[in-house]
Amino acid sequence: MAPKRHAADFVFSLLLLASAVLYAATLHVVFFRAPIEKTMGIVQKIFYFHVPSGYSMYLGATACFIGSVGYLIRPNDLWDALGRAGAEVAVTFGTMLLVTGPLWAAKAWGYYWTWDPRLTTALLSVLIYVAYLVLRAFAGDGEGERRFAAALGIIGAANLPIIHFSVQKWGGQHPAVITGKGGGLHSPDMKLALGLGFAAFTVFVIALLWARTRLQMMQSRLARAEQDAVDLDLIQEDA
Amino acid sequence: MTLSLLHLDPKPASSLPDDRATTFEAQQGPPIAEHRSGEQLLVEAYIFIWIIAIVFLGSMWMRQRAIGKRLGDLESALDRAAAKADAKDLKD
Repeated sequence: MAPKRHAADFVFSLLLLASAVLYAATLHVVFFRAPIEKTMGIVQKIFYFHVPSGYSMYLGATACFIGSVGYLIRPNDLWDALGRAGAEVAVTFGTMLLVTGPLWAAKAWGYYWTWDPRLTTALLSVLIYVAYLVLRAFAGDGEGERRFAAALGIIGAANLPIIHFSVQKWGGQHPAVITGKGGGLHSPDMKLALGLGFAAFTVFVIALLWARTRLQMMQSRLARAEQDAVDLDLIQEDA
Repeated sequence: MTLSLLHLDPKPASSLPDDRATTFEAQQGPPIAEHRSGEQLLVEAYIFIWIIAIVFLGSMWMRQRAIGKRLGDLESALDRAAAKADAKDLKD
């Protein structure tokens, strides 16, 4: 058991190190190599972290969806922990998305927020995962609560394609830079900055999902061991 | 916009309060653009990103510490129980 744990710790440390190196490289390329955009100016550089934040929110939400479906099919600690870890990652990166977007908009549009379809659906998505976490934090950790949260995790995932296609289907003001038709980044250094941003966020999200899932599983096992100890009269209920 | 029109107004500014009466009206549609420094917005965005990441990592670290403490309590309870059982065996 101990060598397995050490191997897991080593892989986690390796992922964190890789993520730190990639973040450093991204910051270097964003600030020292990528050119300043012609019309928006320097504020466009928010884009290199804003878009990967949104993508990371999708990764977290997808993990939450997989964990939720897995839990409903075969209830166990692993699926439940994955669902919860995914929701936490989705809220964390969704918050980054919702903070960086308005700061860019303040310069590009002249105001921080508008009820544009993509902005509204992204906010709704983050609120769904906040509801998931509030439910898990305050409604106990019983079988019923876990199943209800799993259902919420699936509903949250249903909103993801709506966020993605809202720009194409409903218009609005939000730009669509990464599309199959037009748009895009003209400078190779801009592409490199975005590519590195995606790589850094991906590795970081994998590390966080892994660590949170393991931590959550440990917590569940510990709670059961504590309950056994209470049943055997080894410790007090409130200890 | 209002300010620039006031600058073009040929009438001299009055010192009487009634002549300077101003009405505040609700803005229709999105607010008028205010000029903010792009550099400042960029720095704010990056600071927020790192704050959010650090808060998340900090919360993970605190949870891990809490689990470690609970595990320590459980282990000492088990040790006490084992010692009690050994003492009982020796007595018997």
